Amino acid sequence: MSAGLAVDDAAWASAWRTRAPLDKLLLCGGLVVCALVLPAWPGGVLVALTAVVLALGPARVPARTFGRAVRWPLAFVATGALTAVVSVDGGGLGWAPDAAARAGDLVGHSVAGGAAVLLLATTTPVSDLLPALRRLRVPAAVVEVASVTYRLLFVLLDSLRTIREAQANRMGYSSVRRSYRSSGALAAAVLTRSFDRARRMQEGLAGRGMETGLRVLPEALPSSSRFLAASAAGLGALLAVGLLA
Amino acid sequence: MHIAEGFLPAPHAIGWTVAAAPFVVHGARAVVREVREHPESTLLLGAAGAFTFVLSAIKLPSVTGSSSHPTGTGAGAVLFRPPVMALLGTVVLLFQALLLAHGGLTTLGANAFAFAVVGPWAGYGAYRLARALGAGLLPGVFVALALADLATYVTTSLQLALAFPDASSGFAGAVVKFLGVFALTQVPLALAEGLLGVLLFRVLTTSARPELERLGLLAPEPAEERG
Repeated sequence: MSAGLAVDDAAWASAWRTRAPLDKLLLCGGLVVCALVLPAWPGGVLVALTAVVLALGPARVPARTFGRAVRWPLAFVATGALTAVVSVDGGGLGWAPDAAARAGDLVGHSVAGGAAVLLLATTTPVSDLLPALRRLRVPAAVVEVASVTYRLLFVLLDSLRTIREAQANRMGYSSVRRSYRSSGALAAAVLTRSFDRARRMQEGLAGRGMETGLRVLPEALPSSSRFLAASAAGLGALLAVGLLA
Repeated sequence: MHIAEGFLPAPHAIGWTVAAAPFVVHGARAVVREVREHPESTLLLGAAGAFTFVLSAIKLPSVTGSSSHPTGTGAGAVLFRPPVMALLGTVVLLFQALLLAHGGLTTLGANAFAFAVVGPWAGYGAYRLARALGAGLLPGVFVALALADLATYVTTSLQLALAFPDASSGFAGAVVKFLGVFALTQVPLALAEGLLGVLLFRVLTTSARPELERLGLLAPEPAEERG
């Protein structure tokens, strides 16, 4: 779970934090599309390398954070790819004819796409991305609910950790039976706390005259034409190499 | 486990996004209407979304000694109904992709279909059926959460089987393979999530009875009977 916060921490601390969210969205979106449509070799590998080099280089994301964040998706990709290339017929198990090539293809696409999404995730806090959703014509109410969700997450994760520590100190997880009872009480406590907090925030906002939803002043993060031009040139080169090679 | 970024071929990624879109848009409409009528619901819905995310961060001890995480959408479906969960579940998936690197952006549609549409509807359907057959709140909650969890992973397995049919036995063989790896292993975890739900709602019936009555899960009791 600390990995989740690690990605968020990295996003806030990243050297690219002050770049315009839409600039980064275009670059990472372009990389994600390249990862999806280009063959895994050499296109996918180049996309993955580009994303990792950009994250660890100019965006100055800690390598440890980046490495830890890819462990879970890699576990899924390994299990999924292995299952996909094992062949079953008549009760016997065997390798599909082109197993190594298919597995390599799957892993290549997933690693490239995953690295591209992680480049976005480790350089752009979610609260910067949500206003960008408004530009994609997502209704304001939905974006507001999502931004309250994001802001409450950390409060609830904090409660979760504190309550679990208190339970553990009282031997709440000393047996399987107690673990279940403690987990149930933990979930209930977090749910009632989240509702209580929402109700109190609502009362506080109502007292300040909230009538038409939550208004926040978005931070001005100007778009850079050099960044956009470099992104376009880089993506064009990736596409050319990936398609022609 | 959600399908990782880049794992599905482009036509499947697009197809599942199109399949999930009507449910998510329907959920978004329900949320927009709710917020227009009651602006204060924004905070409550946000809290519900955050709770779903946090619930999936609770570790459950499992029989094999490893630990697993509940999907959390079954509890949400019982508490807030499936249309709202279609939207909140998708928001939670987006956050899981961006904050935990679980799932992905091109696979968001496929994951939303399994996690935010099929799971909540299966769980809610089971809950309503159990209650209609005369079961109490807690047995209803058990089947809802266990089935929501299991239905999510069965759907994921079917999605993977469609994308990667077996070389010799085709789609049917692939279904057997993926169900074996992703759904069969999930059965004990689904039962564990059902059990967690029972314990959660048992605490809620004593500590948050007014909230459950307001959500229509419990019939109001005469005041003197409340402990």
